[in-house]
Amino acid sequence: MSKSFAVLPCNGLDKSAGCIAREIALNLIEKSDSEMICPVLYRVADARYTKIAQEKPLLVIDGCQTRCASKLASEKGLKVTAKITVTEEAKNRGFDLGDSLRLGENEVKLAEMVADELLLEKEAEKASVSETVYPETYNYEVYKKDKFIFRVPKEGFLFNENDSWVYISGNKARVGVTDYVQQSLSDIMFFTPPVVGQEVEQFGELGTVESGKAVFEVVSPVSGRITAVNEELSVAPELINQNPYEKGWIAEVELSDLESDKEFLLEFDGYFAILKRKVDDFHV
Amino acid sequence: MSEDTFMGVPRNTIDWSPILDYNKCNYCMECVKFCPHQVYEVRETEEKKLIVKNPDNCVVFCRACGKTCGVDAITFPDKGETTKKIKATRKGMVGNE
Repeated sequence: MSKSFAVLPCNGLDKSAGCIAREIALNLIEKSDSEMICPVLYRVADARYTKIAQEKPLLVIDGCQTRCASKLASEKGLKVTAKITVTEEAKNRGFDLGDSLRLGENEVKLAEMVADELLLEKEAEKASVSETVYPETYNYEVYKKDKFIFRVPKEGFLFNENDSWVYISGNKARVGVTDYVQQSLSDIMFFTPPVVGQEVEQFGELGTVESGKAVFEVVSPVSGRITAVNEELSVAPELINQNPYEKGWIAEVELSDLESDKEFLLEFDGYFAILKRKVDDFHV
Repeated sequence: MSEDTFMGVPRNTIDWSPILDYNKCNYCMECVKFCPHQVYEVRETEEKKLIVKNPDNCVVFCRACGKTCGVDAITFPDKGETTKKIKATRKGMVGNE
């Protein structure tokens, strides 16, 4: 086990999940060369931890969906390499977390399991290389509001009302989010990809995009099987901010029912009108 | 400021809004702070300090407020079922014209 992290746990002392976050961090520093960042001290003493966070890949451990540790990482402008949420880990493994702040046998076991898994070297996942060549750039129509610029590609794309796009090529398609999503979230710090090989329904979840402000669930514009995800986003999620239609694409899907999906897809004119209305109503 | 339609279907025919589990909710109000659509209303003096006031303001298929909930007290209807119903409503609308 050669992997090691700079570990930033939430350490929420008044919640079971927070106490487990600390326990996972302890496991990691005992079992590897990892170093812990204390979120409480970090708030008042940057210097001590900023160096650690730069030297090792940063692992953020949130206890619950309040995401205090993630928000702290975002405030400090840290680059997040890996991220887990204790309540999710517990749910996925069938652990029922009680209210007790003392760790029982179950909680200790969960913390060990999670830590061990984090330290395992992941086998390189086989990326299925897309045979389709997508254009590198597109023509955009722009809507401006104050300093914010919202681009929408004029041709070749279809959209849903949940601000996702699809670019169809034969029976395959590339999907992503629109400028409305990235402008609303502001600096995107983390991308959780969907699982390659899995089926997704139209309007189903295609991973999440996350900033200090919020977690956005990518609402799939089409139904089908996920054949690839944009691996670059795991190291550079800011590509979504730079251009969510080009290098910031999310995933590729083998289409299963495009004709039916099309009933719920908008062409440029329809989406651009909706985008303008949303920007005028809600974007502050 | 509710949108009147979703994909051409009247919003008030679509059953999509957060469902609060009052056994779990700790009234931290993170969801209220988050949602820009006035879906929730805070009622300080009542036992249920938080209610879903304007369900039709909720953006269909958005579950973002649920992702702010530390105690997992917010759930939503099934997406697949909802999609089916919207499709059925649309078919019915075309038939009536």
